[in-house]
Amino acid sequence: MKARRRVVTASGAAVPAKRRPTVRRIKPAIVPVTRRDGPTGGQLTGHAAGATSVRATGPAEGPSPAAAPIHEVDLGVDLGRGLVLRNPVLVASGTFGYGIEYGDVVDVQRLGAICCKGTTLRARSGNPTPRVTETPGGMLNSIGLQNPGVDAVVEKYASTWAGWQVPVIVNVAGESIADYVEVVRRLEGVPGIAGIELNISCPNVGKGGLQFAIDAEAAGAVTAAVRRATDLPLLVKLSPNVADVRPIARAIEDAGADALTAINTLSGIAVGPTRERPLLGNVFGGLSGPAIKPVALKVVYEVAQTVDIPIVGIGGVTELADVLDFLAVGAVAVQVGTAIFADPTLPVRLIDELGAECRRRGLDSHRALIGTALPKRATATSARGAEYRP
Amino acid sequence: MRLAGAELVESREILPGQWLQTYRAPDIIAGARAGQFVHVRAGDYSGLVLRRPFSINTMDLATGTLTIHFRVIGRGTAWFTFLRPGDRIEMLGPLGRPFEVDPRSRHLLLIAGGLGMAGVRSLTDEAIRGGRQVTLLFGAATARDVYPSSLLPDEVEYVVATDDGSMGHHGFVTELVPEYEGWADQAFACGPLPMLRALARLAATRRDRLGVATLGRKRGGGRPAVAGSAAARRKAFLQVSMEQNMGCAVGACLGCVVKAAAGPPVRVCREGPVFAAEELDWAGGW
Repeated sequence: MKARRRVVTASGAAVPAKRRPTVRRIKPAIVPVTRRDGPTGGQLTGHAAGATSVRATGPAEGPSPAAAPIHEVDLGVDLGRGLVLRNPVLVASGTFGYGIEYGDVVDVQRLGAICCKGTTLRARSGNPTPRVTETPGGMLNSIGLQNPGVDAVVEKYASTWAGWQVPVIVNVAGESIADYVEVVRRLEGVPGIAGIELNISCPNVGKGGLQFAIDAEAAGAVTAAVRRATDLPLLVKLSPNVADVRPIARAIEDAGADALTAINTLSGIAVGPTRERPLLGNVFGGLSGPAIKPVALKVVYEVAQTVDIPIVGIGGVTELADVLDFLAVGAVAVQVGTAIFADPTLPVRLIDELGAECRRRGLDSHRALIGTALPKRATATSARGAEYRP
Repeated sequence: MRLAGAELVESREILPGQWLQTYRAPDIIAGARAGQFVHVRAGDYSGLVLRRPFSINTMDLATGTLTIHFRVIGRGTAWFTFLRPGDRIEMLGPLGRPFEVDPRSRHLLLIAGGLGMAGVRSLTDEAIRGGRQVTLLFGAATARDVYPSSLLPDEVEYVVATDDGSMGHHGFVTELVPEYEGWADQAFACGPLPMLRALARLAATRRDRLGVATLGRKRGGGRPAVAGSAAARRKAFLQVSMEQNMGCAVGACLGCVVKAAAGPPVRVCREGPVFAAEELDWAGGW
């Protein structure tokens, strides 16, 4: 089963042209900029990739939204390899447990997808406390990947997930490439597991504790190894704690990832009330929440111009405007994380609000909202970070 | 667990920097038990991204109200003091697991340190309703921080210790425990970690020191209850209500854990906040 796939090297030298998905162009080939502002709006027919069919319709042409209101809005998102979400609102890893904790308070079946708590090969007991603290406009956490290990996760939750309508994406973490590969092997073929999201912001024990996510070669290598090990849809979560995220995103794309998640938390510390030591038990924590939204938007904006695979935006989504912002800079979907703690029903409400917003604008899909804030390009093919080629 | 609106009925500063607020929240307190808590959203949504957990201090099913008791320690807690009667906020609750009182226990010893009063306060009401005798040992730094006895039911025997001797016993509240532990069938505590640690040590050696049998254990018969189960906690002499920085409060984020005597760290919001003392690892730093 695994042998038939071509080995994709981290450098991307042997990327087979056929690997490119055919229908998942996330950036409109021609963005109808100026003329979209007419009363009817621009009509993006079908996928934006159908470059020839994309054109703006003048006010005189086409039905007006008021005369022919669109009732059905298609919020579906294709993340590749068969992972099709009913809507573009996911819940972020670590903020929603295994999907069962919020019980009756949240209608989980309505979510686009659930990214479960970070899962490792063996059980981990996590970091010392305090593990979380509030910061201005955000929070710091250093849970330390406490989890019961992949086998226990599969045993405890997979059968429940298999009965769900909502896809569950298992977030996978590891300390070595072998760890990641082994976790993914044990998830392969398990009913109820719809995809993998790689948390590569973990120290690579084999490389002196350097994070996979901050080095293009390491990020590509771990992605390629996991790609060889599984047929499951594969998302890789980018870290913002790097000087330039683009070569890393490219390496991950070339290594065969189906989609990218951007971003993971920013590294930070808080000081304890007595000023005698940092507050968190682990000293360092990951910053999340509205405070990091501009950083997340920047990463999505850059990566969207670098790769052709879909990007799931995450970082400080607390209201519909944030969702629209992430879509505008090129994300095809968003994850809601920290905001769930304050408002568990937010993700489901955002789905409704996004649908209503599309209806209000006379759109039959949210696709027309994707990439509108990206620099306009004359051709359909992106430069795909050509400047980084040797 | 429910998500419901709550309307502020009354708000007052009962001690310097400490507030007691009454909210009408009938949906939240329906079925709630002593020891459980609510997770409340502060209103400045842009800056404060986390809810605040508060023990349910008292409950009144007749009026559908509950009270919370808190100290102002930052912008979030300060925000609550700006609310006026009639203002509405949103609560998630009841959360966590309650105190487990053995049906045969007649004498309950409650030990509270400082704001830990909020953790055990509702148990006084529940115990007295159940016809039990309650002795409440309370420790504070000075007399001005001592919880007013007027806010306690008349039936409670209230014994105070202050660190500076300005009221009651001069010293730690834990020093009062040996006097009562022979009388008590069960003990319930909430307060600073050093206090709970000292109490856990006392409870662990209680059997040897007093030569008493562990409560409710059938001689040579019956299956031992699973550690952490309600049945096992009912048989424990000491139950403690733990505090920890909290994220989600429903068990999803694993932010609020404490070290367990065996197995992975346990969640204060889900397995707790009430634990039998022997479930936890008191030697560790966290």
